[in-house]
Amino acid sequence: MLEEVVLLAVDEASGGLRSAREFSTAYALVGAVFFDLALARRIDTDTEAIHILDRSPTGSAALDRVLAAMSARGDITSVKEWIDEIFRRRDDLEGEALASLAHQGILRHEKTKRLWVIDVERFPMVDNRPQRDVRLRVADAILNDTIPDTRDIMLVSIAEPCGLLGYVLNDSLLAARRHRIQTLCNLETISRKVAAAIRSLESSVHHGVPRVF
Amino acid sequence: MIQTEEETRDGWRVVNVSGRADAEAADALESVLRAAIEANDKVAASFASLDYISSAGIRALLQAARAAQTRGSEFAVCGLSEPVRRVFDMSGLQHVLNIHGVLPC
Repeated sequence: MLEEVVLLAVDEASGGLRSAREFSTAYALVGAVFFDLALARRIDTDTEAIHILDRSPTGSAALDRVLAAMSARGDITSVKEWIDEIFRRRDDLEGEALASLAHQGILRHEKTKRLWVIDVERFPMVDNRPQRDVRLRVADAILNDTIPDTRDIMLVSIAEPCGLLGYVLNDSLLAARRHRIQTLCNLETISRKVAAAIRSLESSVHHGVPRVF
Repeated sequence: MIQTEEETRDGWRVVNVSGRADAEAADALESVLRAAIEANDKVAASFASLDYISSAGIRALLQAARAAQTRGSEFAVCGLSEPVRRVFDMSGLQHVLNIHGVLPC
């Protein structure tokens, strides 16, 4: 899920991650990590709480780091608190996911210097088929009325609050399918809480409330 | 853990599910519903005695409903217990699944 979210957000030409709103892609990556942990049967959620089911490593460095952090903090149980916590300590989820896609030959890792001093990393697209496939799955889940596959529900539900659907379908199609998108988003607790976290962040920025990240 | 019992009522194969539909029980829930769907044209999952459903349980239910859609079977959920109804209301599952108050569907 983490790599699929990155594929939705990555700019084909520049190889950078686009973000529709400040931190929205970062929140999408945090949500994707929780979905990956759920798919790996390490956690389960209900309407408010996250439950750790299995503390054994998954084999993914990013997931295992988050799982270890969760295992060490028995005082945090709510989905909302965990999203905020992992958002604060998200380290380099983006870099790890980009590097993994580069390792698979989907992106190319380029390092250049700006003004001869500053290192600049880019990840231009080499093989755009996986990105096309992810976009197609998202579009299909939105435009059809059948029940989508679990992964596609997760993908739509995390892409919407984080503003990534605009990279898949145009505004008029998204507007026409607003009810369907909202239905898919509501199905997953993690997505509802990610959406709430983004709204809360935007509200605090709008009202000038200082936040520490 | 879940327990399931099946009966036929008014042409519907009814799968009565009780216990907790959490991650531990999700595979069992999906598999018992899929088996009923494979063998019947009209299947109802009765959740009147289901105490709890987690996200994993909801995903299992959705994938069973998806299997019914693919096969062209009718699939409904009936008789929600109060805790399960609250989760369904919050998740908006009524927009995706056929949900009925009481049997027969």
